[in-house]
Amino acid sequence: MPVWLREHSWRQTLSAVYLSLPLRGARATPANIFCSEQYLKVSIPPFLFEAVLYAPIDDTNSTAKIGNGNIFFTLYKKEPAMWDSLTLANADKEKLQNLRENAVLKAQEKAKEETEAKKIAKQEHKKYALEATMKVEEAERKRIEDLKENERQKVAKELELWKNQQKDGDKYKSIQKKEELHQEIEPLKERKNEKMNKTQIPNEGTSKTRLKSTRGHGSSSIFSQNLKEEQLPAPRAAATIKVNFTPRVFPTALRESRVAEEEEWLHKQAEARRIINSDLSELEDLKEEEKNPDWLKDKGNKMFAMGDYLGAVNAYNLAVRLNNKLPLLYLNRAACHLKLRNLHKAIEDSSKALELLTPPVPDNEKARVKAHVRRGTAFCQLELYTEGLQDYEAALKIDPRNENIEKDAEKIRHLIQGTMQSS
Amino acid sequence: MSAVLGPERPQVVSHIQQALSYTVFDCKWVPRSARLLCLGSAARGTGVLQLYELHGARLELLREIKKPKPIKCGTFGATSLQQRYLATGDFDGNLNIWNLEAPEIPVYSVKGHKEIINSIDGVGGLGIGEGAPEIVTGSRDGTVKVWDPRQNDTPVANMESAQGDSKRDCWTVAFGNAYNQEERVVCAGYDNGDIKLFDLKTMSVRWETNIKNGVCSVEFDRKDINMNKLVATSLEGKFHVFDMKTQHPTKGFASVSEKAQKSTIWQVRHLPQNRDIFMTSGGSGSLHLWKYEYPAQRSKKDSEGIEMGVAGSLSLLQNVTLSTQPISSLDWSPDKKGLCVCGAFDQTVRVLIVTKLNKI
Repeated sequence: MPVWLREHSWRQTLSAVYLSLPLRGARATPANIFCSEQYLKVSIPPFLFEAVLYAPIDDTNSTAKIGNGNIFFTLYKKEPAMWDSLTLANADKEKLQNLRENAVLKAQEKAKEETEAKKIAKQEHKKYALEATMKVEEAERKRIEDLKENERQKVAKELELWKNQQKDGDKYKSIQKKEELHQEIEPLKERKNEKMNKTQIPNEGTSKTRLKSTRGHGSSSIFSQNLKEEQLPAPRAAATIKVNFTPRVFPTALRESRVAEEEEWLHKQAEARRIINSDLSELEDLKEEEKNPDWLKDKGNKMFAMGDYLGAVNAYNLAVRLNNKLPLLYLNRAACHLKLRNLHKAIEDSSKALELLTPPVPDNEKARVKAHVRRGTAFCQLELYTEGLQDYEAALKIDPRNENIEKDAEKIRHLIQGTMQSS
Repeated sequence: MSAVLGPERPQVVSHIQQALSYTVFDCKWVPRSARLLCLGSAARGTGVLQLYELHGARLELLREIKKPKPIKCGTFGATSLQQRYLATGDFDGNLNIWNLEAPEIPVYSVKGHKEIINSIDGVGGLGIGEGAPEIVTGSRDGTVKVWDPRQNDTPVANMESAQGDSKRDCWTVAFGNAYNQEERVVCAGYDNGDIKLFDLKTMSVRWETNIKNGVCSVEFDRKDINMNKLVATSLEGKFHVFDMKTQHPTKGFASVSEKAQKSTIWQVRHLPQNRDIFMTSGGSGSLHLWKYEYPAQRSKKDSEGIEMGVAGSLSLLQNVTLSTQPISSLDWSPDKKGLCVCGAFDQTVRVLIVTKLNKI
């Protein structure tokens, strides 16, 4: 149960009511006071004071002063009239309750309205501020544009002027040229002297109208040109300078940002060449160098050159077991098989080499040509001439300028036609 | 970097934009005139040369010349002011010199290279410098050849690979050091980042270096003086300025480098009227105007007492983006300070005016 505060004192004038409410030691804040048109409540737990006012008041303008242990209310009456008492005397419970509820509702509505009004006002202000800034910026931009326009126009005018001067300059030059032509008949020295005299006089006249930079330049250069031609050194003795370029693997231009990627690719390529199929138990018997496919390839090449075809095949076989991704091994083994007349094996190896030589780039052109030629030869020796011709033609496509391939292709064509006629 | 601030900075004003119906690879001012030349390749794979004249706020087409092969580059550097013949390199490796008044038959023609001529430069003409007029061409076949228009068919100097097979594309060439009749150097940049300096008097390689990115453009600040500065631009937005006054026997030339933007820097061109200002054009369609400042001392002694150069510093005066496509060619007018023309791969050629260069 709240403690009712009843020791209030009040006095009134025609338009206002002054109410003084002592607080028994409690401290009041604005939140504790609730006031509406006809209802006044001060609630400071556990104290409570409420009054249903005699007549409506203007609650927006009324004030409450908190201080010195009491609250001093200044309530402005809506209708100036003297009140019989501060509160309504015969207020029953229900009426009081209704009044209270209404008061609360009204207060809430008011609060809502106030916030709405505030929001709208804020937006208005923002808009205004924005428009103002936009205007200022526009003005700035326009000022700069104007400056630029002025510059542009000034500069365009200057240019016109300069251009016209150039045109005049050209005209005079052409006149002088014509004068030159008239005097071509006389001997050289006399011609020069006369030119000097004649062109000096019109030159003085023209120098004023020309740009400073071309003053006198035109005429002086006309005959100085002739003098110069006699003084020009003879053409240089032809020579060649040999140039060494910083090595670069890729055909594309060097870019700093790609260097890292390129290095990685080259590294990978190098790695791929060194992979060893390591589950070969015989590897332990071999010497270190015999495990290197490149070394074995070289060995094979040497033996082929010396005519030891079987030995070469052995070397290549071992190399292939170590690394079956190197196209050159198959290519060279195919050549060996051709010499040994193992034609089917030659065809197999050339095919395998061609498979490995994809993608077809200028780098592996030569290798592909060889592969096609070897396979073609094998086919022909097996008397499968059409297949052989196909390979030769493929080789020609890659390298159209090779005469040997051309001749062989021709021979095969004749052979085919010969066999077709006879069969 | 010192700063030239605010309204005092040079402005790049785009004066005229001209849309073309072909891809323009090179644009050049005709010396002593308000005319410019555009060289390129039509969609059909034929060459086009167009001669324009400045006419108020637009370009007036004076002449259009068609050639069987697309043209990649051209220069007026080796002709006299009277003749103003244009030397061009085309996609087939032919070097031709044309008289623009009578362009049907070239004045000089040679099939100089087996592949496209990427870059051409001329020296000894236009009343600048001394010595014989010469043209140098750099090609995708890896060779750099120097031609004299008075000698047919064979080059007067040929810089080719020593190792037979191996070759790198030569992307750019430039003449320099032509301060008297005998001295001359050719600088060549390759796609693997090599820059080589060939001395034509001694017929040897004078200096070489590698800047780790393909070299798109090299230019000396002046062709007709003792070598002073060399700017080399490359892929990946970098360019290097070499101080060419002092050559150290092992360290070569001192340099300062700058990374201007993320894309390739296609061209560098020095202002003819001020050799410390140059413009670089980029793959993102932008132009940057730079100024080089010399250091307090241009050379110093290293630990062994040998002279070595000291590089200066660069400051960016202005930058502007004109296009979405790379600006592949750039040329300053030798007659009007600040007037320049640039051609971009969006098939437009633009005439620009750079203001306030007097105040730099």
